[in-house]
Amino acid sequence: MYKIIEKQMLKFKRIVRARYVLVLALSLSLCGWSVVFGQPKITEKNIDFVMYPDFAEANSTWGDIGYNPVNNAVYIGVTNHKNKIGFYEYSVANDDMQLKGFVNEMAHLRDYQWQGKIHTKIVFDAGGKVIFGTDGGESREEYLMNHPQGYAGGFLMSYDPRTEKITNLGVPMQYESIKDVDVDPETGKIYAISYPQVHFIVYDPKTNVQKDYGRLGSAHVPRVIFTDKWGNCYYVDWRQRLVKYEKSQDKLVFAKESLPAFEGTPGGFIITGITAYAKDMGSNKIYFVTYGAKMVELETQENGIGQIRDLGAAYDLADQPLWKPYIPNLNLGDNGKLYYFIGGHGNYVKNNTSVLMELDPATLKKRVVLEFPTTEVSEVTGSDIKDKSGNLYFAGRKIQPKSKDTPESLPSIDDKVSIPFMIKFNPEKNIK
Amino acid sequence: MQTSIKNTLLVWLLGAQLTSYAQYTFFTPEGSFAIEASLENTDMVRLPIYRNEITSLSVIGDYIVGGTSAIEGKSPFVFTASLESRKMTEIKDLEGIVEGQQRIRSGFVKSDKGQLFAGTMPQSSSTSGHLISVSLDKKKNLVVKDFGTPVIGEGIYALTSDPTNRVLYGLTYPSGYFFSFDISTKKSEVYKDLAPSGKVRFSLEDHFSVTAEDYLSRALIADDNGLVYGSLPYGVLFYFDPKTKSLVKTEEELPEVWGRRSLGQIHCWVKTSKGEIYGANRADGQLFKLNAATQKIKNLGKPIMMTGLAGLAEGGDGKIYGIAGGYPGYGHLFSYDDEDGFVDYGNPQFDMVEPGIEQGIAWRGYQMETIAASEDGKYIIIGEAEALSQLMVFPVK
Repeated sequence: MYKIIEKQMLKFKRIVRARYVLVLALSLSLCGWSVVFGQPKITEKNIDFVMYPDFAEANSTWGDIGYNPVNNAVYIGVTNHKNKIGFYEYSVANDDMQLKGFVNEMAHLRDYQWQGKIHTKIVFDAGGKVIFGTDGGESREEYLMNHPQGYAGGFLMSYDPRTEKITNLGVPMQYESIKDVDVDPETGKIYAISYPQVHFIVYDPKTNVQKDYGRLGSAHVPRVIFTDKWGNCYYVDWRQRLVKYEKSQDKLVFAKESLPAFEGTPGGFIITGITAYAKDMGSNKIYFVTYGAKMVELETQENGIGQIRDLGAAYDLADQPLWKPYIPNLNLGDNGKLYYFIGGHGNYVKNNTSVLMELDPATLKKRVVLEFPTTEVSEVTGSDIKDKSGNLYFAGRKIQPKSKDTPESLPSIDDKVSIPFMIKFNPEKNIK
Repeated sequence: MQTSIKNTLLVWLLGAQLTSYAQYTFFTPEGSFAIEASLENTDMVRLPIYRNEITSLSVIGDYIVGGTSAIEGKSPFVFTASLESRKMTEIKDLEGIVEGQQRIRSGFVKSDKGQLFAGTMPQSSSTSGHLISVSLDKKKNLVVKDFGTPVIGEGIYALTSDPTNRVLYGLTYPSGYFFSFDISTKKSEVYKDLAPSGKVRFSLEDHFSVTAEDYLSRALIADDNGLVYGSLPYGVLFYFDPKTKSLVKTEEELPEVWGRRSLGQIHCWVKTSKGEIYGANRADGQLFKLNAATQKIKNLGKPIMMTGLAGLAEGGDGKIYGIAGGYPGYGHLFSYDDEDGFVDYGNPQFDMVEPGIEQGIAWRGYQMETIAASEDGKYIIIGEAEALSQLMVFPVK
């Protein structure tokens, strides 16, 4: 028995070693010897995958993940993309993932108020209440409308970790999903963006007053909004110009110029805006990546748009246009470096492979630090999720082909098995 | 398929999970395009935010002419855009020409001299709506003139002209007075006989929670004999007879979905080149045909499930094009003719190519408020009513 285990361990070590060699080779090709020898090693010991218990039919997550500093916990909404959203809490201190319940039950939704998923990120007010919005997540949301099986509209909700109860904050727009939210920590006002009509909404839970600032997009809804340290909120218009809700003036301020984009970026990639961001609160800088795969730094200021710096390509090693890589996630390590997975929705820089990148915004040097076959990591989402110990979190998913022997009980999307999980990553520490 | 459309489709598929079964096929006919009419913080000719709902729309030669509505406390614009060059050419703030106005929602009426006339709605009840004329000079610059106030203390909600296009007829807001206005003498006459009584208003506002915006006829039309039609509360058809100078309440009512009679209201009219009159009930979005000889209405049905039918225009192909539905859902473009009946095109999605977005982006129409045909019938133009509204144009085959 001991020998068998030893053999398996040996085999495992070989696989790991082979992968290290591969990563090293990639890193060398990307950065050169001199750079690599100065880099700390990042191995599979720096990363951990945490499964979601007690929801066997769960098949996906989106950007619906966030870290609550008040109780040192990560929250994730996990969906079966049909009618159930599992609401999960990961206790950092206990390394324990728990299903707190299903949103439809916790929020007292009736059948006609079905929700397909949480698409928004999960954010927190100053008191530690968890804020998110819900989404139809299905084509019927757009076309059936007031049909009996149609979509009533997405809700804003808050969850109190102390009482473990959800408060339903209502539907901002009838028939519309909520694609993203953020919160002004000072006032508690919630910012939201609707789908498909791209309305920017400000809602005050204290007074129940909502203001709709109207449509800001074209044929596609940019999925990401974010706030700065003053509580101003940022979005983009159809020209991929930053739009800032300036709270001191209660008005929208539009940048005159579009964000940096590669020559030849198709219009469809321009109108899709920003896909992920990460904040450096110490320096008031916000880093983000566009759908056209540009890394950008925004130096925020209380009034006005702020300074934009083009950080270049998210990935420039593949034999494909620079605007093409798909990066719906971004985190900033305590080491000041940005980390992001590339790949998803059938768009990969390497065949059937997701790569984890590191970019130093100070030097603009970047490298591949790990890579995974899509059967292990196929798509990763999440923006700016870091705990007090410098651990970074992402919402991950893996896909596997189905065979005739694949059990029907395995969760799937289209013709593939699809399994969601949380990714915990620390570029400076072994966490396994 | 054009590259930009392909890319847009790709983005849609990428941007939302599990969308492979979605009906992401939009009405994007060859030759269609969108004109960026509104944009904040730009040096280009564009309308500013919250002052650009395109609530009146017409065409003079190559030029689209629009009149906008603004949010409370802001003034509207008159603008032009070129069909040939596919771009905005001029905007003119109505403030400075007529003070204190908020909306140009009556639609444009063409006079016998080729001018366009429209009525305005004031920013407050202490001021009045004006009639304005809009024309283009030899250099195709906008000329906007104030023709004064036909009814003191009232806004102008709806407007049409007689068959000679020398006399304008309008309906005021909030009282619902009918008026005539002779363009050459600038003289107006007011008819108050059929204005909703206090009792009717109370019934509608208190029992059915509707407002004057919901029960005053949103449009008027004249038949070839000069009778001018509109709707009264509860969807009752009326007409004005210019020979007797009298308003007549008919026995005819707009097509009703049972129980929703209180919502009956003319949303729009169109008279075709053959002299046929089509109208729409805003209550449930029914299209109907009015027989001017018998003053009878034939219900043609609803093009889509939603309520409202904001605009109709006749294309050069003889079809009627219309926009149905809208907030809290989103509008559909449809066509109607006797042979094919209704055809629902859903949301139009046209390519927008402008400086800075030369590669083109897809613009999808949601809240479409106005529709007009070019003078030769070759183009149909749609005006949006959004925070930043755009123009959408497609050729008629």
